[in-house]
Amino acid sequence: MSQRHKNRPPAPRVDAPEGLAAKRAHVEDLLARGKARDAVEAAKQLYKEARTVETEALLVDAYAARIRALIATGMSREARELASLVVDRYPGTRERIMPLVRESAARVEGDLGPLLALRASSADAATRREAEITLRRVIVDPRALADHPALPEDDPLRQAARVVSELFSAVTSGPLPGGALERLDVISRHSPLAPWKLLVRAIDAYYRRDDAAVLANLSAIPEDSAPARLVPVLGCLAGNAPALGRASLADRVLLDKVSAGRARFRAGLAELVDALGVKDQRRAVNVLREVAEVVENAPRTFRATFAATVLTQWMRLDLDPRPFMAALRRGRSDVEMLRQLALACERVGAWPEALPAWDAYLAAAQHLDAFPRTGREPSRVLLRMAGLIPTDVDEVLDLVMAEDEAELESLIREGEIPEWFDRGRLLDRARAAEPHPDVFRALVAHWEARDARRAETEAQAWRAGHPGDLDPLLFLARAAEQRGAYRKALDLLGRAEAIDRVHPEVRRNRFRILLSSVERDLRDGRVERALEDIERLAAEPEAAGRDRIGYMQALRWAAARRAGDAPAASTMERELDEHLANSVLVDLLLGSVAATIGFEAPSVLPRLAETALTVPKLQAIEGLARAADLLLPLVRPLGPPIDLLARIELNPRGAPAAHLHSICTVGLRANRPSLAYAAAGAGLELESALTHRFLLARGRALAEVPLAREHPRARQCLRAARTLAIRLRDQETLAEASAALRRLRLSLADMDDDGESEERDLTAEEIRHVIELERGRQMMPRFEPEPLLRPRRRGRRQRRPSVPSRRDFLDFLEPSP
Amino acid sequence: MNPFATLGLDETADDAAVRAAYLAAVRAHPPDRDPDGFQRIREAYDAIRDENRRLDLRLFGPPPLDRLEALLDTFPDERRHAGPESWLAVLREPRR
Repeated sequence: MSQRHKNRPPAPRVDAPEGLAAKRAHVEDLLARGKARDAVEAAKQLYKEARTVETEALLVDAYAARIRALIATGMSREARELASLVVDRYPGTRERIMPLVRESAARVEGDLGPLLALRASSADAATRREAEITLRRVIVDPRALADHPALPEDDPLRQAARVVSELFSAVTSGPLPGGALERLDVISRHSPLAPWKLLVRAIDAYYRRDDAAVLANLSAIPEDSAPARLVPVLGCLAGNAPALGRASLADRVLLDKVSAGRARFRAGLAELVDALGVKDQRRAVNVLREVAEVVENAPRTFRATFAATVLTQWMRLDLDPRPFMAALRRGRSDVEMLRQLALACERVGAWPEALPAWDAYLAAAQHLDAFPRTGREPSRVLLRMAGLIPTDVDEVLDLVMAEDEAELESLIREGEIPEWFDRGRLLDRARAAEPHPDVFRALVAHWEARDARRAETEAQAWRAGHPGDLDPLLFLARAAEQRGAYRKALDLLGRAEAIDRVHPEVRRNRFRILLSSVERDLRDGRVERALEDIERLAAEPEAAGRDRIGYMQALRWAAARRAGDAPAASTMERELDEHLANSVLVDLLLGSVAATIGFEAPSVLPRLAETALTVPKLQAIEGLARAADLLLPLVRPLGPPIDLLARIELNPRGAPAAHLHSICTVGLRANRPSLAYAAAGAGLELESALTHRFLLARGRALAEVPLAREHPRARQCLRAARTLAIRLRDQETLAEASAALRRLRLSLADMDDDGESEERDLTAEEIRHVIELERGRQMMPRFEPEPLLRPRRRGRRQRRPSVPSRRDFLDFLEPSP
Repeated sequence: MNPFATLGLDETADDAAVRAAYLAAVRAHPPDRDPDGFQRIREAYDAIRDENRRLDLRLFGPPPLDRLEALLDTFPDERRHAGPESWLAVLREPRR
């Protein structure tokens, strides 16, 4: 007898001592939670305290669980040593422990022989069943079973294994022909291969993109079967649950190979959304590292969209982009990443950061020969940079602490600040790279407000380089018109007509210039020549329509007055009354012509002051609206009496939408936002096609409320207007709303508390909400002007570093030489 | 959405190729029968119809998506047949 047997414990007592129930429950709980090693220790302790049949059985249970755990983790030798120890000490457990030893041999060493031998030799159905259950747990490759020499050729299990093996190989290698899976029908649900049958069906469903069938088949696979190991992986592939965090190396390889990285990306994306949701940069960077390889191997268009989307979100959260770039394995001079950085800066409104980023991009791209030093690409980038510089020059001057543009120029010349703060220089570089019409257009617009002669020079260069372009001719004609050189202007327009006779801008300009010529002749007393030009004007297509015909008559009336023919003028006034059928309109028209020509019209203005208060309100609104529609596009004075505006402003309801819209325009042009506000409010109460225009007018009016008190409302109205304009493809409203939003954003008092970008379009529900809110607002905001809060720069302040930046991270972007 | 992919074009396509692909796509998705499809095609065409637009797309595109989650929709949804070995490797791996 061995020493071990000598030390065998005495036979257990039949009666268990009381008070140990809790400890027994503890062991059972550990077993239920899979804590086999702890369960063994606790069961041993319990057995020492109370050697009963029950505590011995519990100890054996704990040993069995421990042996299983060792087998599952590949510790076959340890499992068998422990099994041998247990059988030796408790011989009665042999029948229970030996199958585990066989399972260990089968699972870890791939030796199915003992299990198959047991299954074949046993006449006992229970033992045979036990062998088959163990087989179900250990068959990690059906081919091993199909080829095993211990199985007779005609054994149904061997035949089933062959079917499963062939179909598994086929389904993982390519599309299966229709009906191929019918061969699986020979496998019963009690077969050790039943879980494999479900697995093959799940994989087939996955490749057929029937994810519901995938999950249904997976859910039927027993947890203790060998194919169950693939359930979470296949579930992840089918979009059931992310498995990235707990995936093994083999899992990852499979996920990446089969889904081309999509499964890993989906899991990483979910994690990234969470991390950025709580602004956890470190966690987000770790996720980016995880998905970097997958992103790198994805198509170029996806990589660009990924970088644009994540980096923009990154910048909105004001996170440091350097770890972002490092996580995606991009260096500081990576051309694509610099481009994405510049664009992301633009999107968050950080133009002072976007400019050096673009400059660095340009330098890097040219250094790497991604594109040439001259040509369309650099020209386009430089043009874009120029477009980023705010039109409000004060914003630039404030940023670089310069008093005026001359000092800005001096600072650039002395090298204290980069030249990209000067739009003119950027545009010069763009033109040098490629003299594209877009560059000339920007150059002319830039110089028009600063140096009219330079603007004309640029327009002439534009015309010389692109003789087929209308725009430079139109600009030169307008410049000549402004100098009073009407004949020259008409000559230039004639050249424009030779290019495109029906171009609306050409026709409008011709009409306006002819009109200016008539007005000057009338001012200078050249009545005959003026009358000839009036007839030429009247023949223009632009003179068509009742009100324009009336306007021609008003010019003839002015000519008659200039010629001293009072009776003729009186007759014309009466004819005009009849023709236009609105006394307010007639008086506004005659008043405007008189003011333009430069003589008083005593018969008109007093009458207008009176009629403004006496005619029916809707007639007054109509008169003002029609006069505005006629005169404002011609840039002619409107001059409505204050009383008329005040009367309309008090209650414009009841007027048609078109008239209300014109009144909005009058209010905004006449610097009377209260009038625009009231008319827009009345317009919003109507269900009309001009709702987006009323929202725009309402937003622009609210933006004029001092101290930015109504800026949040203004922004909502403008965003709603812009979204509707996009849907209606109304480019004019879109441009106006975007410009108004940009002005709001530049306002110091208009910082967005929640960080939400005003660039986001509103949903239909949100737009409805805005309209309902505005309809409900009965009280007029206070539009009284306040003292200017923003002091102009006084004296020199300490100069900022050469690259002004709100973020330190852009320090690494060195300007190009 | 990549406009080149929408119209089934290579990124080196010229004006004529873009126009031809657009017309073919419109014939396949006429606005009266497939308004959404037509809208997508129209937007794709507008984005790349001439050389300037194509250059702008290359230099200043693509636009970011509204939501990070939407990136998954743009990731290629491939289901590749990798053969049995990668699957078996998972099964042979010891459980943790």
